[in-house]
Amino acid sequence: MRKTVLTVLLVLLGALGMAQGDKLKACWIYVGPVGDYGWSHAHDQGRLAAEKALPWLETQYVESVPEAQAEAYIDRLVKQGCQVIFATSFGYMDSVLAAARKHPDVIFAHATGFKRAPNVATYMADFYQLYYLNGLMAGALTRSGKVGYVGAFPIPELKRHISAFALGVRAVNPDAEVLVRWIYEWYNPAAAKEATEALIADGADVLAFTEDSPTVIQVAAKKGIPSFSHYSPMQSFAPDYVVSGQLVHWEKIYIDFLAKVHAGVYTNKNLQDVDYWWLLPQGAVELGGEFGVPVNPKFIPALKAKKVKSPVFGEISVYDLVMKELALMSDVELAFDPFQGPVTDRQGKLRVPAGLRMTKQQLETMEWAAPGVTGPWPNEPK
Amino acid sequence: MEDWLWTALLRALAFGTPILLAGLGEIYAERSGVVNLGVEGMMALGALAAFATAQTSGSPALGLLAALAAAALAALLFAMAAVGLRANQYVAGLALSMLGLGLAGLLGKPFEGAPLERTLPEGAFVAGALLLALALWFFLQHTYWGLVLRSAGENPEAVDAMGVNVFLVRYAAVAFGGAMAGLAGAFLSLAYRPSWADGITSGLGWIAVALAIFASWHPLKAALAALFFGALYHLSYRLQAQVTPELLKAMPYLFVVLVLSLSALGRGPSGAPEALGTPYERGERR
Repeated sequence: MRKTVLTVLLVLLGALGMAQGDKLKACWIYVGPVGDYGWSHAHDQGRLAAEKALPWLETQYVESVPEAQAEAYIDRLVKQGCQVIFATSFGYMDSVLAAARKHPDVIFAHATGFKRAPNVATYMADFYQLYYLNGLMAGALTRSGKVGYVGAFPIPELKRHISAFALGVRAVNPDAEVLVRWIYEWYNPAAAKEATEALIADGADVLAFTEDSPTVIQVAAKKGIPSFSHYSPMQSFAPDYVVSGQLVHWEKIYIDFLAKVHAGVYTNKNLQDVDYWWLLPQGAVELGGEFGVPVNPKFIPALKAKKVKSPVFGEISVYDLVMKELALMSDVELAFDPFQGPVTDRQGKLRVPAGLRMTKQQLETMEWAAPGVTGPWPNEPK
Repeated sequence: MEDWLWTALLRALAFGTPILLAGLGEIYAERSGVVNLGVEGMMALGALAAFATAQTSGSPALGLLAALAAAALAALLFAMAAVGLRANQYVAGLALSMLGLGLAGLLGKPFEGAPLERTLPEGAFVAGALLLALALWFFLQHTYWGLVLRSAGENPEAVDAMGVNVFLVRYAAVAFGGAMAGLAGAFLSLAYRPSWADGITSGLGWIAVALAIFASWHPLKAALAALFFGALYHLSYRLQAQVTPELLKAMPYLFVVLVLSLSALGRGPSGAPEALGTPYERGERR
C-alpha cells in the first residue's frame, strides 16, 4: 500500500516537474494604472485572459511605469525571470530596443511601435473600421448636422480614426460636420468634460471621443445626447444613451504570440518582421459599447428608420448597412474598407485614388483630415 | 450671441468652483502666515473620501462631511510639521501634495470606475462657493477673529502680545484651508463628474495656489479670479478653432507671473502677508 502511494506521489511530482520545465513567464509593462477605464485596463484584461487560456503561462505586471524609466523596470523584470516582455506604450520604443540589445535571450513585443529587432516584435489592434461604422450611426442620429468629437492628441492614430468616423457620418448625412476639440491629454476628466460642454454649446447633438474615462458619455447623457463608447465597455455608465462604440481584445494577439513562442515558432532570433496589425477579421476588435452588443437595442428602431442609398446595396436602412459592412469587414477577404478610393481630404486634394486603398504604412502615418471635419488639425498637410 | 455668453458664463462658474473653494481655503491659510502647497494632495484625499463614503453609505451628504474631515486631517498633519515643528513650509507642503495624491491613488483602487447612485447638483456648489466667498470676506475684514487671523500673518508678535496663541490661530487656519480643499475635491467626485479615478484633480490644486496670489489674498477678488480662470478654460475649447489652446491654457499662469511682476515693481496689487512662509517662534526677533 505504502509503496503504491509513494509511486503515485513520485509520478505526480515528476509530472509537476515536467510541467514546471515547460512553463513560460510573460511580463507586462503598463504606462497607466490598471484600474483606469482605458488603455492599460484593456491590456491587463488581455493578460488575464491569456493566463486563463494558456495553462503553462505565468504572468506578472508593473503599472504606471513612466516612459523614461522603462529600461530600469525591464532590467528588473528580466532578473525576476521574465522570458517574454510586453511593453504597452508607444513611448517605451527606444527603451525596449536598448533593453533588447542588453538582454538578447529575452523576447520583447512592443505595442503601437514601428521599430523591430531580431528579438523585438510589434503589435497593434486598430479601430479604424469600427470608427467608420460608428460614423454611419452618428450620421443617422444627428438632427443638427453637427457631431462632436473630443480628441486626446492630434497624432496619426486619432486622425485616422476621426477621418474614418467622418467618412461614415458623411456617407449617411452628406452635409453633416464633425466638430473636433483636442484636450492634449490621454486622461483628464475635467478637460474632457469642458470640451464636451463646449461642443454641445456649439450645437453638437451626437458625441464620440478618445479619452480614457467615461466622462464624455456621462456629460452627454445628462443632456440627453447619444454618444459612442471608447475602448472599454462603457455602456453601463449611460445605458440609454450609448449607441455603440469600439472594444478591444488584446488577448487574441497575446494568446497567438505566446502560443507561437511556446511552440518555438517565434524565437529571440526571428522577430525582425513580426508585426501584428490586427483588425476585425482576427477578432482583435469588436463593435459595441458592451461585449456581445454591437448596437444598443434602444437605438435600433431609429437606425432602421433612416434609409440611405448605398452604391452597393441600393436603398437600405442605416442599421442594415452597418451590419452588412461589419460582416464584410470581419471577413478576411475584406470586401469593404472605409478608405476605399477615391477619397479626398477636406481641402479637396485626392488622397486615395479610385480603385486603391491605403496601405498599413499610409494609415499609420496619416496626417490629413477627411471632408466634414472642422476644427484645428495640427500638422495638416497643405 | 446672448446664448453664447450665457453658456460661457455658466461653464466658467462651474469650472471655477473647485478652484475658488480651494483657493479661498488657501487664502485663509496664507493670511495666517502659512503657505500650504499641499492643496492638490488634500483635494485628492477629499475627493476620494467623499466618493468612497457616498458610494458605500449611499448618502452624498455623508460623503461631503467625510471629505471635509479627511482633508482637514491631512492639513493638520502638515500643520504639525510646518507650524508646530517649524519645518520649511514649502517642503512640507510639497510632501503633503505627493503624499495625498499617492495615498488617494492607492486607497482608491477598489473605487475606480464604480458608479454613484446619488449625486449632488453642480449648481448648489457653484452658488455655495460664491456665498462662501462673501461670508469669508466679511469674516476676514469685519470681525475680531478675522483681524486676529490677518495679524497672525502680518505681525505674529503683536498677536502673541495680545495674549492670543499664534500657533492655535495658524493650526485652525490651515485646518480650515484643508477642509475647503476637501470640499473642492467633493465637488469633483460627487457633482462635477461623479466618479473616482486616480488623478481626478488634474492640477486644479495648483491653480488654486496660484489663485490665492492672483487675487492678492482677497476672498472677493478670488471669486472674480476664479470666474476669469474658468472662462479662460472654457474658451480654450470654445475658441479652439481660432486660438491655439496652448496659449489659452497657459493664460492663468502667465497672469500670475504678470501680477507678481507688477507687485514687485510696486505698482500693482500687493498684499502678501508680511510673515508669510515664516514659522513663528515665541520670543524670537525677526
